[in-house]
Amino acid sequence: MNMHNSGNKISLLLLSVAVLSSCTKEKNVTFGVNDKIVYEDKSLKTKRKSDAEYISILYTNLYQVPISPTQLYKTQNVIYSIGDRNVANEMVLSNYFNTSTLKIPKDSEMRADVAAFVEKCYKRFFLRYPSEGEKTFFINYIKSNPNVTVEMVYTAFSVSDEYQYY
Amino acid sequence: MVTAGTVAAPYILPTGRMFARTNTPKAEYVVMVMFAGGVRQQESVLQRYLDDSQDVTGAAGNIMPNLFTGTAPDRKIVYGTDPGGGATRGSEPIPRILSQSMEDTGTVFKEMSAISAGHYVGLNTLITGSLGTAQGLKTRPKYPTIFEYLRKHAGFAALDTWFIANGLGNSTPLLNSSKNPDYGLQYGGNMFAAPYTFGSVGREILGNGKPYSRADLDPMYYMKNFLDQSFGLSPDQLETIKNTDEEKTKIKEFIRAVFQRQDQGLIPRPPVSDNGDAVTISYAAEVLRHFKPKFLTLNMSAVDGCHSNFTGYLRSLHRADHSVGWLWNYIQNNIPEMSGKTIMIVAPECGRNLNPNPILDENDWYAYDHSDANAMRVWSVMVGKNVPKMSVGSEGNRVGKLTDIVPTIADIFGVYDEVKASPYLDPQSKSLFLRM
Repeated sequence: MNMHNSGNKISLLLLSVAVLSSCTKEKNVTFGVNDKIVYEDKSLKTKRKSDAEYISILYTNLYQVPISPTQLYKTQNVIYSIGDRNVANEMVLSNYFNTSTLKIPKDSEMRADVAAFVEKCYKRFFLRYPSEGEKTFFINYIKSNPNVTVEMVYTAFSVSDEYQYY
Repeated sequence: MVTAGTVAAPYILPTGRMFARTNTPKAEYVVMVMFAGGVRQQESVLQRYLDDSQDVTGAAGNIMPNLFTGTAPDRKIVYGTDPGGGATRGSEPIPRILSQSMEDTGTVFKEMSAISAGHYVGLNTLITGSLGTAQGLKTRPKYPTIFEYLRKHAGFAALDTWFIANGLGNSTPLLNSSKNPDYGLQYGGNMFAAPYTFGSVGREILGNGKPYSRADLDPMYYMKNFLDQSFGLSPDQLETIKNTDEEKTKIKEFIRAVFQRQDQGLIPRPPVSDNGDAVTISYAAEVLRHFKPKFLTLNMSAVDGCHSNFTGYLRSLHRADHSVGWLWNYIQNNIPEMSGKTIMIVAPECGRNLNPNPILDENDWYAYDHSDANAMRVWSVMVGKNVPKMSVGSEGNRVGKLTDIVPTIADIFGVYDEVKASPYLDPQSKSLFLRM
């Protein structure tokens, strides 16, 4: 009987030691990495988007909703049916710009802050910041040509070679 | 008859390079009809109708009256239009459009050699002049096309060279250029898969575009060109043919004009235009009328129904002849710039088998595939400026092969030696004018 009691006491002691030693509070470590938004580098864009990728990305970019599979299929085939893909892309785009549901800035917004508009264009289409030279070109060109519209700038970006690569 | 003379007529290519044509051009324009889909010699140039295909005796005759000279069959006529009133379907042959058959006014190569019994390799042969039997589908031609030869060696602009494809299938829209490093897309021809571009889907996707003015387009192209220069795509990265900004504008204007002309019912069509080939030919005529390109080729394919429907094949053959006759007539009568200055070349890309497969059609006639030696027998017809009236070769006496077509076109445009010097051309090919 005594031996049984002493055995229980030893088991309880061992259990207490095990529990206490396993419940050590972990240290909360934070490594020192600063927040960084990653943008693409144009020199690394070496893969051409397929027609389906190009149309999907363009449509979502301009309408802010995905293109339907049927519409994607039809558009892809029409582009394939024209020998000069740039002609096809430009015509598809001019059809988009003839619709009212497009989500693009107003010309007045562009004119209010041309530098910010240019930077947004590069980020929106090319997923990168413009170089100083690129920024200067667009700011000067837009400011010195009052007839230039958001539609014209967006068209130029949408049909540019860089927008067809990733 | 050897007609390739030698003159030195220097001119300057768009690249600025001084260039001398090595022989006198024979014509200012060439239209090549790839009479494709697989055409048996027996029902076409040999004019045997049902005699040599369905064991029907006494039913021989010519069902291609615009291309070939010969009397039509007088029995079991099923290839024409439907007269109605309970008469046999197809029993009314389509009246000949041309006053004289092309055989009566031009040169027929009665039997030539195809390079392959397959469609895509056959089309590649017609368009590259190469022995590329390993050409795969879904890839551009392995060897330079006639568009690239003409643009590089004759200095043709992109709008001077056109391919009108009959649809999106079988990789035909890829035939307007190779990606060969010595030539490639920078020299490719313009192309429409016309039944699709100008069909209901094309109209839905393209037909509501804004008609930008020159004042709108200039800034767009100016900014785009800046962006492109900044990105710096190299020629080997090109994935499409290149037109200048002005050429692109003209193509877009043309597409819009076609939609308008459709609305007004102004698209010219062959009198009988109840199949896809006629539609393709209609839009080829539109491109010819609008751009007057120096070189245009188009392909047809309705006769390929012969795999399962021999009667349908006969109808398609008859209609293809009708459409080609109509196009030749249209050029002569409706495009004064090209009238009398054009050569038309017509050739199938491959033939069809000697023996049928077991599939029977509505008339209990057997169908034919294309895979045997008979499928390597084809013909060619040339008509127009400086083409003599002549018949070359005969059944069992083959003269010429389909790889001759590209050097023939080069010969017509005066750049025969330059194109013949290409290492990609079949070395045994030569201008058909030199085989006469």
